Amino acid sequence: MKKAVKDPKNITFALIAVILVCMPLLYTAGLLKSTMVIFLGKCIAFAIVAIGLDIIWGYTGILSLGHGLYFALGAYGMGMYLKMQATGGRITDFMQVGGLTKLPAIWKPFLSLPASILMIILVPALLAGVIGYFSFKNRIKGVYFSIITQALTWAAYSLFIALSPYTNGNVGITEIQSLVGSVKGKANGGNLMVLFYAALVLLVLIYALSCFLLSTKLGKILIAIQDGENRTYFSGYCVSRYKNFVYILSAVFAAIAGAVFVNFNGSITPTQMTISYSVTMVIWVAVGGRGTLVGAVIGAFLINLCEYNLSSGSLVEIWQYVIGILFTLTVLFFKSGIVGVISEKAAALRRKKKMKEAEA
Amino acid sequence: MKKKIVKRAACTFLAAAISCVPVGCSNESESDEVKVGLLHSLTGSMAISEVSVRDAELLAIEEINAAGGVLGKQIVAVQEDGASDPSTFATKAEKLIDSDEVVTVFGCWTSASRKAVKQIFEDYDNLLWYPVQYEGMEASSNIMYMGAAPNQQIVPAIEYLIDQGYENFFLLGSDYVFPRTANMIITAQLEAAGCNVVGEEYAAMDQTEFSAIISKIEEAQPDVIINTLNGTGNVSFFKQMDERNITADDIMTMSFSIAEEEVAAIGADILQGHMVSWNYYQTTETEENTKFVEAYKAKFGEDRVTSDPAEAAYIAVYMWAAACEKAGSFDVDAVKEAAAGLSFEAPEGTVTINGENQHLAKTVRIGQISEDGLIYEIYATDAPVEPDPYLTTYQWAVDAGIQPLE
Repeated sequence: MKKAVKDPKNITFALIAVILVCMPLLYTAGLLKSTMVIFLGKCIAFAIVAIGLDIIWGYTGILSLGHGLYFALGAYGMGMYLKMQATGGRITDFMQVGGLTKLPAIWKPFLSLPASILMIILVPALLAGVIGYFSFKNRIKGVYFSIITQALTWAAYSLFIALSPYTNGNVGITEIQSLVGSVKGKANGGNLMVLFYAALVLLVLIYALSCFLLSTKLGKILIAIQDGENRTYFSGYCVSRYKNFVYILSAVFAAIAGAVFVNFNGSITPTQMTISYSVTMVIWVAVGGRGTLVGAVIGAFLINLCEYNLSSGSLVEIWQYVIGILFTLTVLFFKSGIVGVISEKAAALRRKKKMKEAEA
Repeated sequence: MKKKIVKRAACTFLAAAISCVPVGCSNESESDEVKVGLLHSLTGSMAISEVSVRDAELLAIEEINAAGGVLGKQIVAVQEDGASDPSTFATKAEKLIDSDEVVTVFGCWTSASRKAVKQIFEDYDNLLWYPVQYEGMEASSNIMYMGAAPNQQIVPAIEYLIDQGYENFFLLGSDYVFPRTANMIITAQLEAAGCNVVGEEYAAMDQTEFSAIISKIEEAQPDVIINTLNGTGNVSFFKQMDERNITADDIMTMSFSIAEEEVAAIGADILQGHMVSWNYYQTTETEENTKFVEAYKAKFGEDRVTSDPAEAAYIAVYMWAAACEKAGSFDVDAVKEAAAGLSFEAPEGTVTINGENQHLAKTVRIGQISEDGLIYEIYATDAPVEPDPYLTTYQWAVDAGIQPLE
């Protein structure tokens, strides 16, 4: 326990959390725009997916290029509930255009909040469970598993567009407010505070849960799987079961993140389900530093803030090149990501100091 | 001691990260500039279309500034990239309205992006000028619709085809909200007129393989294909039709998403003879259009063409400026009030903002694509057609129940 408190990574995360706590206060003081708080709320959601991805990729060595699917499933679940709140349980305009006359059965659970939350968690967990069960049991690993996750995402994306009477195709669920009502504009500053702090609490809880899980025997086994899967098998551990468990866990994290995201974004479209969006999520983890948890959080915040600020004004035509060059540099020169580089440097400094002390 | 270094490094990094967060500083001082937002996809799959619209807006802003600006202030355009992703559009719309404090926004192209930002413009009570024809069934008081409603593009085109003696229609579209809604309207209209829909097919947005669909078309033997494909789908579809030697003489097509820009991309030789329906062509003969085309080509290059959405975006800026002058203020509610009933001599002819649904009364023009890559008018309504986004004045639409839920 003491060790966990002293761990510089956890201290860094605590620092990030404290800074985030201050943001809505800055907003009330008039120093920050409410849109920035809303955007940081979206970043909190991105950080939650990134933590899930880091557990399976950074610690267990499973590269999923399809987490956009679970993110979108969670987001759609929440979006459908919020849409039902907006329409008062009646059918929506896109259902009418699609030729439906009454609410389809798949929408029925989203009339109540507890059932919606259950769906948000259960649907991605079940899907991930089935995919994981067959893949890991058949020892599909490495790039082959990545391809399966991509294909699955692509299939789901096509399905969501084809089922437009039920999902509104590529327009998605729009014209919805958050769980606590509208968060836009000055009049709704209170709602925004509530929503933002709720999201922040979720992020801290998920980070703490992940840290705890990784500090137990489970964490050691996961790292063992990454370092030598066959050896772990021979040591008597049922590797596929562990892999399936973390895969489901990260899918659930992604779904929770999606549900948080939709509250801040006010709409959800299948674009969040695409392969390119899923790959973007992996890039957050890669840039931040995989296998550190806090790196995933930093990566998610840093890259999204960069995009937010670079893709406007004078840089509007070239911002993608700037981001592209940043990625390339990271991959070429800082393989372990930002957090990795910093802790390596720190370790080197420490060694130097020790040598000096020894000399003296 | 050792931990301190790590901590310090982490702190430095965090400080760098936070410096990315712009702390809003509002300067309320009376300046001689007024900020407007331009929100289009400048990257991603929609960039090819939206950049031309953005350019038309920049041209209008430049012209107005050269003539003295609006209410004595120079217009400053704040550009944001929607990156072809509706969620990014939503994020950027909020940023423009709240952080940049723009007085109005010109933007969007796809219905998905418009619907993603609609709620935001309503919540913040700002004004979006939307430049593209669309599927109707919407009339937000915080959006000015500069493109055609269905009764100013689709319905008259079908009426024209029925008058010309076409009986068997094949509906082909990309799988998204505009084609699906358009085809729902067209089906009701054709049924009321006693014509037949011999087939209805949807292609994925990025589909490039059309042989199965073309086979179905050949089997159904339609007189005319109503084409609502969007983007790259058009290129593949018409090329593959051409490969099978099916020309406009064999099966006519009527397209709602092919303008001059798309003709250039697909190839005029393939599209020659096919019909389209818009409110404006580069060849439209008005004095204002001659000036507009000249200025557009002078600014962006001789090989660039003007199109209906670009023209709509161009007049959006002018109409906003005129409404501000009339209202004597940039205030959204005052501008909206002043805009009602406002007329403007546009390149497409006289347009008037309908105060009830915030659409434009526009002249409808059926055009035929010529081998020089331009589109020439073959039929036009005598006067501008009043916008009717919900089709409430059409008995067949009312009978078929094409009405929004409320």
